[in-house]
Amino acid sequence: MTTTFERLSAILAKDYKLPPERLTPDAPLETLGIDSLGTVELLWNIEDAFEIKLPPEPVELTTLGDVVRYVDELIARQAMTLAPAASAAPMVPSLRSP
Amino acid sequence: MRRVAISGIGMVSPLGNSTAEVMAHARAGRSGVRRLETPFASRLAAPIAATVRFDEGDDFDAVSARMLDRFSLLAMFAANQAVHGSSDALAGIDRARGGVFVGTGMGGTHTMDSGYQTLYGENSDRIKPFTILMGMHNAAAAWIGIEHDLRGPNMTYSTACSSSTVAIGEAWMRVACGQLDVAIAGGSEAPLSPGSLKAWEALHTVATMDTECPSASCRPFSKDRSGMVLGEGAAMLVLEPWDRAVARGALIHGEILGYGQSNDASHITRPSVEGQAAAMRAALLVARADPHDVDAINAHGTGTQANDRTETAAIRAVFGVRADHIPISATKAMHGHLLGAGGALECVLSLLAMQHEVALPTMHLQQPDPDCDLDYVPNMARAGVAARVTLSNSFAFGGTNAVLVLQRADGAMR
Repeated sequence: MTTTFERLSAILAKDYKLPPERLTPDAPLETLGIDSLGTVELLWNIEDAFEIKLPPEPVELTTLGDVVRYVDELIARQAMTLAPAASAAPMVPSLRSP
Repeated sequence: MRRVAISGIGMVSPLGNSTAEVMAHARAGRSGVRRLETPFASRLAAPIAATVRFDEGDDFDAVSARMLDRFSLLAMFAANQAVHGSSDALAGIDRARGGVFVGTGMGGTHTMDSGYQTLYGENSDRIKPFTILMGMHNAAAAWIGIEHDLRGPNMTYSTACSSSTVAIGEAWMRVACGQLDVAIAGGSEAPLSPGSLKAWEALHTVATMDTECPSASCRPFSKDRSGMVLGEGAAMLVLEPWDRAVARGALIHGEILGYGQSNDASHITRPSVEGQAAAMRAALLVARADPHDVDAINAHGTGTQANDRTETAAIRAVFGVRADHIPISATKAMHGHLLGAGGALECVLSLLAMQHEVALPTMHLQQPDPDCDLDYVPNMARAGVAARVTLSNSFAFGGTNAVLVLQRADGAMR
């Protein structure tokens, strides 16, 4: 199964044209050219790619590993929130409306 | 007032992306107007435009480019080329005495169009986070300032089709009066988004397509002219005090002698003979030149019935009988109407024409118009025209007219 880090790396390689060898969990986002403003946009893209909804609270993310942990946490939290609904309606394909 | 040299030129245009390429095509009368091949073209009455051949991936890293609308990408490309070709005009300057002056009529219209498509076309609220930053008119100037660490005035002018002539003129004034030691000045426009194309079509000012030869659809000063053809591109200049450019051994492309402006204050679109003539007179006055000093004119020459007739009358009003002896080039027939970047590209073409001692052709002028009876250099470049001083005219919707007086680098007027 593809991990969150692998999926995130694939986005950064394809859309941001970043060389895969620079994409390590401890790589600071700033050194990849993604500053705090760029992180806002990256998270916007992540919402689509991972089908999650970002909370409105600001978050401080420094490394790629931070982003991965944040995304995993959101996926887990949202899966829990939707779990009762999912059991009642097991065919829900997505966490968001199309 | 200090003399001001043009020591750097950069451009990305429908006629090419370097001075050599642009001059070769302009001299040969090759048109950059093409049939649009995008899927949206089927919804246009006249699916034509003057497009640039430009691959952003060659010049910008993908992370940075994500924050740049096409008009900013084009502006950055042109500015970088101008600085690169200026033999280090920015080296050693007090960064607070370096400025950026950019004209654009429509700003980041691709970005805004895309946002509206999301909002209304797809009925989604997923607007991209950078929409404001990419769409704002001052984005191009801001990025040029960041790229070249210029901390003086960072100005954006939006006076429709005269925007970049105004930008160059205002930059010239700041350098001439001693406030700035270097300025990057010019314009950028990327107006070929679906919404913009349809909006221009709705105004009934764009040319009908010549179905046999789409590239000949724009016909300034020809009786059968039917309007303008939209174009995209950017052109930027490096301006600096003449003495500084000479002292550091820079290649000087020409000199700005003056800049004049007027406002029609009469009608939002209808051009005015008085307004256009007033701008030309104002420019000559500032340049301390008289009509006899002018050897050539790059006309605004849009190819609309109203502009070309009015501009002809305005030139006659300013130059009197001498008007018949001044070669007048309407280069928009080849590069289309770059709106807020048009004046900058035409300024560049004026400089190159003087440098090469050629009068550039007004292409596709097949039917003489009794109301347009000057020497427009029809259909073929004229070699051996040793112009020292050229006027570059830009007139705009809204009524802001702007004119530059340019002198070739070895001109003898001063």
